[in-house]
Amino acid sequence: MLYAAIIVLIVMGFGAVGAVAAFFWAAKNQQFEDVEEGSHTIFGPDEPIGEATDSFPGRAPGKQK
Amino acid sequence: MSEIDIEKSRQERLEIDRAATKPVGMFIGTSLVWLLLGSFLAIGASIKLHNPEFLAEANWLTFGRVRPAHLNTVAYGWLSTAGIGIGLWILSRLCRVPITDYTSLTLAAVFWNLGNAVGTWGILRGDGTSIEWLEYPPYAAPLLIISFAFVMLSAISLVRRRPPGHIYVSQWYILAAFFWFPLMYVTSQALFFWNPIQAPAQGAVNWWYAHNTLGLWFTPIALGAIYYLIPKVIGRPIHSYYLSMIGFWSLAFFYAWAGMHHLIGGPYPAWLISASVVASVMMFVPVITVAINQHTTMKGSFSALRWSPTLRFVVFGGVSYTLASLQGSLMAIRSLNYLTHFTHYTIAHAHLGAYSFASMVFFGAIYYMMPRLLEREWPSAWLIKGHFWFCSIGFIIYFVSLTWGGYLQGIELNTKDTPFLEIVKLTIPFLKSRSWAGSLMTLGHLFFAVNFVWMLARKRSASTTATLLGKQGPLTNP
Repeated sequence: MLYAAIIVLIVMGFGAVGAVAAFFWAAKNQQFEDVEEGSHTIFGPDEPIGEATDSFPGRAPGKQK
Repeated sequence: MSEIDIEKSRQERLEIDRAATKPVGMFIGTSLVWLLLGSFLAIGASIKLHNPEFLAEANWLTFGRVRPAHLNTVAYGWLSTAGIGIGLWILSRLCRVPITDYTSLTLAAVFWNLGNAVGTWGILRGDGTSIEWLEYPPYAAPLLIISFAFVMLSAISLVRRRPPGHIYVSQWYILAAFFWFPLMYVTSQALFFWNPIQAPAQGAVNWWYAHNTLGLWFTPIALGAIYYLIPKVIGRPIHSYYLSMIGFWSLAFFYAWAGMHHLIGGPYPAWLISASVVASVMMFVPVITVAINQHTTMKGSFSALRWSPTLRFVVFGGVSYTLASLQGSLMAIRSLNYLTHFTHYTIAHAHLGAYSFASMVFFGAIYYMMPRLLEREWPSAWLIKGHFWFCSIGFIIYFVSLTWGGYLQGIELNTKDTPFLEIVKLTIPFLKSRSWAGSLMTLGHLFFAVNFVWMLARKRSASTTATLLGKQGPLTNP
């Protein structure tokens, strides 16, 4: 019964260290720089900012009728 | 932006969506089967609370089996399955690479559904474990674990092939969810069944696991979906993107501590409980950042709720996230917890999170994804609207019924001289109201399922391809 707990503690330890490491990696890798550009990455030339991309069937995107 | 750039970007997106069609589609399609089954099990459990003679002749449908069957079916059959499909698709889109492991994901889908089927059958035949959120008998777990290993490999493959540069917040949320869930699930299986620890440590592990399933599995996938879908639908980027980073990392660091608030009043060290209460209140930080982002991004575009099916579900879900989380933080405080613990109030809260937030967001995500995966439109706008209104109105009735009834129940439970049976009787009208509400919600799910099957049955139509996937006109009110 103790073995399971020890193994779990070790795995969790790695997990916790991994999470902290991921955070510092992100900081070092400039993930937190140029935040505005970051928010634009989901758009593209074919689905640019300013254009809606959803609608009810039979309607054009951005339009109700 | 030249026509060539536009066409290139469009082809890239088409390739990604086409590669996702079968693997993601399998998860989404099967999740709807579990949604329906889970909804009917829910109605059964609900009716049995106020009319215990209902279906009483079927011993496999006794409340003690139907209720956990409902919980596990909707948690692992509906939410988790849909979450895997939605998570993989968003990762594929944001990593800008197509899914390539069709075979292993097919195996994953088969094993995942088999695991759920074996688990649900196991509960109904009486092998349920009585551990809340982990009632699937231990023989179902290996199927789920093997399946998820394939899912993780697929997610890692996508992330490794991504282009250099910014990692969007949704990628963080979804990838983190895909790591957290197996960690929690395997640990729980190990500590409960493979090498069992003794009670009351089991209680601590139970609620560490169950609470983390909500906050580190369902929540990040749903939040990742919201952060992707709201800006994509309205064509505007997230307003305070910097805040979204704070939101992700504070969720990652605080959430895992909070689970012990389920054990307030129990035989646990006070420091364990107090730490969880502090962490629960610290959750105000990520929750408020998400709320600010959702509101400031949507500001000026609320009219979009009228023309976008996805958005109405996603925004309803997003607002519910804020409400459920703030409510949860408050419920974790001992001076409020004494009133709500062990009452229907808690159930209302649980559904505000798992249904009104997670499920509604997943509905919205599926409405956005399926036309892109199948290259055809949803057949019926009326079924979509019916789905939304039945589920939203049904849920509001559900929530009001159980919150009010649970509150009264809590007061009487803390009143020395009220006989227990009197308390049970006072909850009955609220439980009946909940059964009606649940029926409305189930009707909404049926509308969804009918529309989905109809859409699958339709052949691809050239005209819908043009409106959906060709160049769109600009918004008149950006």
